Amino acid sequence: MRKKKDRINRKTVLAFMTLSVFFLLFVKLIYLQIFLHGKINRAVDKMVNRENVEVPKRGDILDSKGNILATSIKKYTIFLDAKMIDNFEKLRKMLSENGIKIKEKKLEDLKGLSYIPIAFDVDPFIAEKIKAAKFKAIGFETKYTRQYPEKHLLAHILGITDCDGFGLEGIEKICNVNLSGETIKTKIIRDGKGRVIHNKLVDVEDICGYNVELTIDRNIQFIAAQELRKAFEKYKAKKAICIVQDPKTGKILAMVSLPDFDCSDKIKDIRCLKNCAISDLYEPGSTFKIVTVASALEEGKIKVSDFLYLENGKFRIAGHTIKDDHKVEGSVTLSRAFELSSNIGMIKIAQRMGNDVFYDYIRKFGFYSLTGIDLPGEAKGLLMDVKRWNALTLPNISFGQGIGVSALQMINAFSALANDGVLLKPFVIQKITKCNSEEDIFEKKEIRRVVSEDTAYTMKKLLKNVVDFGTGKSAKIQGYSVGGKTGTAQKVDHSIKTYSTKYYIASFCGMVPAMNPEFVILVIIDEPKGSSYYAASVASPVFANIAQRTAQYLGVEKDEVVK
Amino acid sequence: MRRPFFFVAATIIAVFAYLWQQNMSMRMAYKVSSLQTDHDKLSSENDILRLKINSILALEKMDKIAKEKNLSRPDEKYVIYIN
Repeated sequence: MRKKKDRINRKTVLAFMTLSVFFLLFVKLIYLQIFLHGKINRAVDKMVNRENVEVPKRGDILDSKGNILATSIKKYTIFLDAKMIDNFEKLRKMLSENGIKIKEKKLEDLKGLSYIPIAFDVDPFIAEKIKAAKFKAIGFETKYTRQYPEKHLLAHILGITDCDGFGLEGIEKICNVNLSGETIKTKIIRDGKGRVIHNKLVDVEDICGYNVELTIDRNIQFIAAQELRKAFEKYKAKKAICIVQDPKTGKILAMVSLPDFDCSDKIKDIRCLKNCAISDLYEPGSTFKIVTVASALEEGKIKVSDFLYLENGKFRIAGHTIKDDHKVEGSVTLSRAFELSSNIGMIKIAQRMGNDVFYDYIRKFGFYSLTGIDLPGEAKGLLMDVKRWNALTLPNISFGQGIGVSALQMINAFSALANDGVLLKPFVIQKITKCNSEEDIFEKKEIRRVVSEDTAYTMKKLLKNVVDFGTGKSAKIQGYSVGGKTGTAQKVDHSIKTYSTKYYIASFCGMVPAMNPEFVILVIIDEPKGSSYYAASVASPVFANIAQRTAQYLGVEKDEVVK
Repeated sequence: MRRPFFFVAATIIAVFAYLWQQNMSMRMAYKVSSLQTDHDKLSSENDILRLKINSILALEKMDKIAKEKNLSRPDEKYVIYIN
């Protein structure tokens, strides 16, 4: 009986002890869950959950053939956590083997810090090698950096970005929203070993920037840049501009402004960022005569066969004497006056129209208005209000002085004639490709009809005659007919407040083939130095070289017998 | 007698199924994470290689090399444009 009682007691004690253990665990559990749960949750949350900022890759900029002009590459910033360094010599040796040198002194100075950047813009290949060495004290940060493989080529069109990848100039600025993509925050979970487990998967492709495709053809751009640079250096010019445009669509195929810069380099002088082709104004000189003649023809104020008396090369008007470079005695036809680029002839034609009509045509051709090109910094031009014109304004403007135009406005006016009298909006962005392969395609946009098809045809013939028989002979090329106009404009010398006899702007604008143009080229050489400053010897040969190579590159059908 | 047994067995199976699913989802998360890292690495390498190709074929660079080697422009009739 006693034995049985002892056994019961032992069982009771054992049960009591077991229950006590569970009771204590239960009490602890209550303490943790009820009194400490907030604190513990916060600690775990801090350890496990991380907020991650996903910075998308900036979109690429491509030329019309899909060649990369600007792209972003992932680069690493490598930093040290001084608190975690246990064997500095070993660490330094490993970094040195990978081309990263750190000064021990620097480390001594910064001891105690957990973020000491030691290398920037490190290539992923090197970063992977360093990662593989598994040093706890080394940390990595990634960042996209902008790269421009073509360096100087297209510098003014592409523009630049700041260190955070924000577009500051050119296409980088205009398309910044499209190129940037979408920066989003994602939550990631880390396990005890610090390995990342994504809570919400984000496909980087979905948030990346859009690709922008330009109308620019890299090869034509190179041809234009190469030929223009030769002339720019030869004549020690202040500036040089070349634009190549497709007159049937308004697409800009090439746009070069010199001096230029390397997009990848640090910009030392911000003035070089200005795209002279669209931002600078110049007095066009004789190339502007197309507006005078085309508008008079359109208004029926003159016919090609009409004769003009050229005053033996000297014409007195409003107390000023206007001279012609080519003295012609007696009368000549409109065609001949245009071929010889007679200023006096143009004055007489403009006078037949009067101020208001002539002013209207200047505006119709797109001068003193923004062309609407998709590049930043376009200039509107300079033109006095017609009500304020004096007796000398009309004569002056008729031969391209007393008016400020941009190179883009000038080529666009020529393109309007090449396009049977219809003015188109010039553009450089032809396609924006979104992440989901959706495409925004930009096509030609008609602004207005400037002159009739007949007038445009007559103008093309007159321009062809200028190259065949007139001042533009040096713009002739083999196998193709060329129509164009030279322009030698005096620059205003601000020190003497009148036109300079030292500084000129030589330009040539022409189209190939003359009667059915596939492309229009404008070449401007600002302040050429040397024995000659005339457009015929400075700008026309540059045009010829560019036109010859471009026509062959584009496979334009030959329309003239090779001599 | 059988009923409680089935009940216990079903509970155990359900618990194991739940634990297995949790375990698998965790493993998959690791795998996806690692694959995403690999994908990022490969696409980054691809970007670099594409840039290298474009840099090598940069016209300005080729022109510079041609000048250094005193090469002259060929006659236009011998030029074949590849596009």
